[in-house]
Amino acid sequence: MERHMCPQSTRVVELRIPSELGYEKIAREAVATVARRLDFNEDKIEDIKTAISEACTNAIRYGSGADARMKVVVVLTADENKLDILIKDPGAGGSPPLNTGIPDINGMVAGTERLGGMGLFIIKELVDEAGFVEADDDEDEGNQFRMVIYRVEDDQTELDQAAPEDNKGGTTS
Amino acid sequence: MSDEIQVSVRWKDDAAVIDLVGDVTTFAEEAINQAYQSASSDGAINIIFNFRENDYINSAGIAILIGVVTEARKRDQKLLMTGLSAHFQKIFRMVGLTQYADLYSSVEDALASINSNGSS
Repeated sequence: MERHMCPQSTRVVELRIPSELGYEKIAREAVATVARRLDFNEDKIEDIKTAISEACTNAIRYGSGADARMKVVVVLTADENKLDILIKDPGAGGSPPLNTGIPDINGMVAGTERLGGMGLFIIKELVDEAGFVEADDDEDEGNQFRMVIYRVEDDQTELDQAAPEDNKGGTTS
Repeated sequence: MSDEIQVSVRWKDDAAVIDLVGDVTTFAEEAINQAYQSASSDGAINIIFNFRENDYINSAGIAILIGVVTEARKRDQKLLMTGLSAHFQKIFRMVGLTQYADLYSSVEDALASINSNGSS
């Protein structure tokens, strides 16, 4: 398949979205466009769309308390080999969620665990690298969450997808 | 910017089919719970959640569905889910939701399973 980027070129797209649930869908559509230009396959694009939705939702909900006067900044940096996504929030909504473990769905159904808390786990399963990072610029306050998705040849992607891993969190009683 | 979702309940054979058209996010909670309560009030034992393939589902939406699972288990109801894209089937398996609700490609396939199991 023909790639749409010049060799060794880097493209940067920056979005500023209101900190209001629902606006993460703009980041979702934007990243899909960028990922298609990098020739990611459609399965991987769906993974990236879900990952950025979850990360932006966290930034909106926890990073700025869903206060629409604040902004969440999404920086998409694409080069020949990878898509690098940085999501910045003002850090005004308290501590961001840090739980990346397998969700205890049995506990949720039993009522011993609170519903939710699955976003970071889903992100970590769908992208190659993910985590909170320190800001490069001292003037950048708040939280910065970075995700990286490497571009691999389709043959390797098919191998990776041949063995999906189910949640091993327990069995239904 | 609230997400629009339309949720409706219909009966097909011995199952209540809850059709979801739109995004399954935190904004869908009231509509989904009302539809589920409506189906339960009408005596549903088998409940099929029928998604539209290309709609957006996030972890908040999945949490709503886990809440429904919790209620359904108390009432000995069987939950089935249809119409999900391959991507969201993967996500549902990833978080463990498929331990509590079987996935089928279509409502017809889900109904066939119900009938073959004689669980109506």
